[in-house]
Amino acid sequence: MRLLIIEDEDLLRAKLVKALEDSDYVVDSASDGKTGLFHGLEYDYDAAIIDLGLPQLDGISVIKTLRQKGRIFPILILTARDNWADKVEGLDAGADDYVVKPFQIEEIRARLNALLRRAAGFAKPTLDFGPLSLDTTARRLTVNGETVELTAYEYKVLEYLMLHPGKVVSKSELTEHLYDQDHDRDSNVLEVFIRRLRQKLDPDESLKPIDTIRGLGYRFNVPPNTKR
Amino acid sequence: MSHPTPNAESRYSLQTRLLLAFGVLLVLFLGLAGLVLERAYQESVEAAVRERLQLQIYALLGVAEPDDNGFYLPDVQEARFSQIDSGLYGFIFDMEGRELWRSPSALNLSLSVADFSPPVPEVGETLYGGLDLEGQGELIWASYGTYWENQEQEFSFIVMESAAPTAAEIREFQSNLYFWFGLLTIFLSIAQLILLRWGLRPIANLAEDVSAIESGKQDELQGRYPLELVPVTHNLNLLIKRERERQQRYRGMLGDLAHSLKTPLAVMSAALQEIKSGGGLGPQQRQDMEEQLARMDQIVSYQLKRAVEANQSRLLVKPVEVEPMLQRIVGALQKVYRDKQMQAQCDVSPDTRFFGEESDFMELCGNLLDNAFKYGGTHIQVTARQEGRTLLLDVEDDGPGIPPDKRGWVLERGARADTVRSGQGIGLAVVVELVSGYGGEIRIGDSELGGAKISIRLG
Repeated sequence: MRLLIIEDEDLLRAKLVKALEDSDYVVDSASDGKTGLFHGLEYDYDAAIIDLGLPQLDGISVIKTLRQKGRIFPILILTARDNWADKVEGLDAGADDYVVKPFQIEEIRARLNALLRRAAGFAKPTLDFGPLSLDTTARRLTVNGETVELTAYEYKVLEYLMLHPGKVVSKSELTEHLYDQDHDRDSNVLEVFIRRLRQKLDPDESLKPIDTIRGLGYRFNVPPNTKR
Repeated sequence: MSHPTPNAESRYSLQTRLLLAFGVLLVLFLGLAGLVLERAYQESVEAAVRERLQLQIYALLGVAEPDDNGFYLPDVQEARFSQIDSGLYGFIFDMEGRELWRSPSALNLSLSVADFSPPVPEVGETLYGGLDLEGQGELIWASYGTYWENQEQEFSFIVMESAAPTAAEIREFQSNLYFWFGLLTIFLSIAQLILLRWGLRPIANLAEDVSAIESGKQDELQGRYPLELVPVTHNLNLLIKRERERQQRYRGMLGDLAHSLKTPLAVMSAALQEIKSGGGLGPQQRQDMEEQLARMDQIVSYQLKRAVEANQSRLLVKPVEVEPMLQRIVGALQKVYRDKQMQAQCDVSPDTRFFGEESDFMELCGNLLDNAFKYGGTHIQVTARQEGRTLLLDVEDDGPGIPPDKRGWVLERGARADTVRSGQGIGLAVVVELVSGYGGEIRIGDSELGGAKISIRLG
């Protein structure tokens, strides 16, 4: 999952970036509204965290412009002023949720998680597909009720595919959303992850949850259990 | 457009403006009136002269008797005709311009018919004119055309008199006129000045009153003011009162804040002491610190909210339209609580308004609705209606509700920050502060939906 963080306080931004990278997000950050907006328009993010009080271009304007230009990824706003006028203005401008400073990192993680899954159309924190169930809060996979251990990267790939079910996801999209820019983007590595995932999800090859569309990418093909 | 700074003086004072305006008006009016009067008087004097000359002509006609050489006027009544250089002269000419008669008074005058222009009037017609004769000054004449029984000739009778007395009369009238009008101007100017002073006195008093407040000599405007100024002075007094209350409030809040932060600070300092004196950072100290940090955060955000809410002067505010405001907040909360798929029903009577600060109302509704969304299950009901300037607002949900034994505590005004606990605490505490700040009422009851029903009465 690729995130954009726009926050002008250096210490807070650094802590946020660190904490979210530790949670296996790929994070880009900007310290002012203009740069942030440029990132938001230029790259494809899964979610953004935007502070309302930003230099050069305020958070509200950044959000409005992003929405006007058709960027639909969920946006979480940070506000130091705990009043409803600011919150409502931010949400009206196109943000999806808010967190008031000071906050606990867990709070941000939980809100982000909820936003990402809601953006994919899931109302609950657990993504259920047939026998597969991915708990996005605990970051845990169960197959037929039994916990299956996943590495961090395997989890990231599976979560991304599950949040875009039925959609063909190209290798480059996956790399872009799951790796840092300076990461070695060897698509062979991705193929290895997919192969391992298939083995773990479907050891007896009865379900075949991930299709390979030759030349295009991958598709998660198990229909979700709950209506989206 | 340029906006002057609030304290900039306008170029002319009220008094100067009025004085200038009235002054110009006065001069224009009196000048014009003088001109008209002077004109009218001159015309009436001239008309009188003409009439007099005409009468003299009739008098001459009455006594004239023609003879072989011309006319014979045996007994002219008017003595001035007989007295030489008297200033009243008579002539009779025939159509050829021959002089047939002249009064004895005119024996010294050297003039002929050519001096009168036009020289010959039609029969029955009177002509008037003036001429300047050496040694005699300005003269006014009247010439009357007539014909005589048994004579084929037509004649003109001319009477003239010196213009000097008339001119003197007019001059005297003029100087009288100017004298009285001058006097009138001075009198009116003084009267106007006095009236202006008197009329503008309350404004000067107001300025003095305000500066007395500025210098701390008094608390509010005390003078008695005329009807037109009462709304201003009333609002000014209200403003001053609110400002003073607000200052007190801020001072109180600052005290509360400082006071309530002392306890957690003391606990933390004690924990730090334990760590220093060899205990190290054990789980107990860590937990203490975390608890106290959370408490301090809570205190700060509660006091911040109170500070926002304390900004409530109800003067000169634009009334807030309730319905769009509620819709905005509900729309925003629907986003935040999207997972709940909350059914929010807003029943707002048309034209319902809140008479107060928009941000206060937003804060109030935001906190109430946030609680409703947070604790409600699937349904929320908001009802708003108006009675006069009073706004009645009910927010209901289908959540667990607030147990009766906790309601009193929740509603306690100004529950100290360090006693406010997380959860419903802060939001409702802020609502309570806001409502009491507006002198309103708040009640907690049970909703037909099954949860809490918060009823608010504002204004």
